[in-house]
Amino acid sequence: MNLLYVSYGIIIVITVIASYIVGAFELLPFDPEKINLTLMMTSPGTSGHILGTDFMGRDILSRIIIGIQAYFLPGLLAVAIAIIFGTWFGVLAGYWGRGFDTLITYINNLLNSFPRLVLILLMVAAFKPDIYYIMVIVGITNIPVVASLIKGKIQFLKGKFFIEAATALGLKNRVIIFKHILWHNCRSVLIIQATLGMAEAILMETSLSYLGFGVQEPTPSWGNMVQAGANYLMQGKFWPSTAPALAILFTIMGFHLLGDGLNNILERKQKK
Amino acid sequence: MKLSSIRPITLLISKELMISASLLLGVSFVVFIILFLSPGDPFSAMVKGQMMSEAATKGAHEALVVPEAWYSQYLSWLNNMLHGNFGTSTRSGLPVLREVILVTINTLYLTIGSMFVTLLLAIPIAILSARRGMTLLTWPATIFTYVVSALPVFWLGYIVIYISMHQFGLFPLAFGAMSKKFNWIYFLLPVFVLGVGNGTISEVVRYLRDEMERVFAEDYIRTARAKGASIWKHSFKEGFLIPITEIIASKISFILGGAIVVEQVFNWPGMGRMAWQAAQDRDYPLIMAITLMAAIIVRLGSLIQRVVHIIVNPRASQE
Repeated sequence: MNLLYVSYGIIIVITVIASYIVGAFELLPFDPEKINLTLMMTSPGTSGHILGTDFMGRDILSRIIIGIQAYFLPGLLAVAIAIIFGTWFGVLAGYWGRGFDTLITYINNLLNSFPRLVLILLMVAAFKPDIYYIMVIVGITNIPVVASLIKGKIQFLKGKFFIEAATALGLKNRVIIFKHILWHNCRSVLIIQATLGMAEAILMETSLSYLGFGVQEPTPSWGNMVQAGANYLMQGKFWPSTAPALAILFTIMGFHLLGDGLNNILERKQKK
Repeated sequence: MKLSSIRPITLLISKELMISASLLLGVSFVVFIILFLSPGDPFSAMVKGQMMSEAATKGAHEALVVPEAWYSQYLSWLNNMLHGNFGTSTRSGLPVLREVILVTINTLYLTIGSMFVTLLLAIPIAILSARRGMTLLTWPATIFTYVVSALPVFWLGYIVIYISMHQFGLFPLAFGAMSKKFNWIYFLLPVFVLGVGNGTISEVVRYLRDEMERVFAEDYIRTARAKGASIWKHSFKEGFLIPITEIIASKISFILGGAIVVEQVFNWPGMGRMAWQAAQDRDYPLIMAITLMAAIIVRLGSLIQRVVHIIVNPRASQE
């Protein structure tokens, strides 16, 4: 069952990356920003538009594919910040000191006190940032999560014999940390955190674009597509908002299932 | 409870209170730093177009006794807040505190109600899968929790509005504006939407299930089962009460984030809508007060969780 989760997640990840590449090389069926007023709000399948068109006659499939660009690189940035700095602080706290430990716990609680979206709205009010800066904030707020996981892992591993043996053999701290601790024992935790972090980044981007603070029209993002389509939903025209909503649903579910499946497979095996 | 057992508990609780207070202080500092670093300052906005000469501006600056250094600015701001003065909204000119308290109450209805919805859905699934493992019933239920957790909550909101409009002829769009008779329905729809779509159900189920499985495998539960005592009674505190308060406390901030979006969809006059408006208008005093209020709610939630934990299990929380 966990394999099922993971394979679904991997399919989604591959689809997202492939669509990103398709979008980046502009191999789209239609121009995502081309307005065609003769073909407004058509249902799926009309004259080559596989997913139909939106309220300005723009091809929804192309817009969904281009919409990936709204979160792909910013999301990776958020994940990279969380993983790199989280690992760094986690190692500092776990390997060297109780002082760092208390500090990390304090910062962790501090950042958890802010609802993420409220913090981001505060930043929006203060700086009017674009999506990359917002994702930097998302990344920073995830640092303590990663740091406390790595810290716990290291404190657990420090009592083990192989670390003691490595120290007794005179290996450098650097080698012990990077090879024996991080590479051999924290790889899976970091991968899991990266997938969950990506899911959160997508959620943040779509929510913000929905609220009108993220990616702005006419540049498509799944969030602002749902928002624009929702105006026509009351008339019974489901498709323009449902298509991007389903894209969000399948993608976030893919990342969640991938993270949880990997967690069950890799972490439970280690416990036993 | 004997007096000797109450004393350590009060000690622990006062320690938790100290921690919460220090965290709130940290929160206020972060908020201050963000706005301190932001471009533009309120003073130059105030005198803009009124005073021409450099000297006059400087004189007004001195007359207003605006502290120069950042730490004295922070301290005077903090001092004002401790006396209940959160400033006035730059948009409406009204004192911020009263408005924020009003919307906070609305948001609390929404968040607390939606937590109950989440728990109502999550607890049966968690209990079933902890007791019976993966069966034909729990497997689809688990998949369902994943699907629901990934649903974009704004889209779910629109769909629910559409269904209630076309199937039941209800218009839950204007909260409190319609006749009083059906107010509870307008109240229920957003609560339901946020409870289902806040994106935490799969995590709540996973956490509760893992904790229950862990507790069911403990020795004292095996003993209870062997002597024929009720397992539920013995596992209630460890396997039920503590995990639930823990997961709720850790998810409050996430649910508050979801509330912002849901309030936007349903026109709910809460904190999130006000924060959204304030972010649009760059209304600094308002958004500062909202951020602080949100942080206070989150801290209160985890304070309650710690207190429950301490009362249920004083020995474990001393470690």
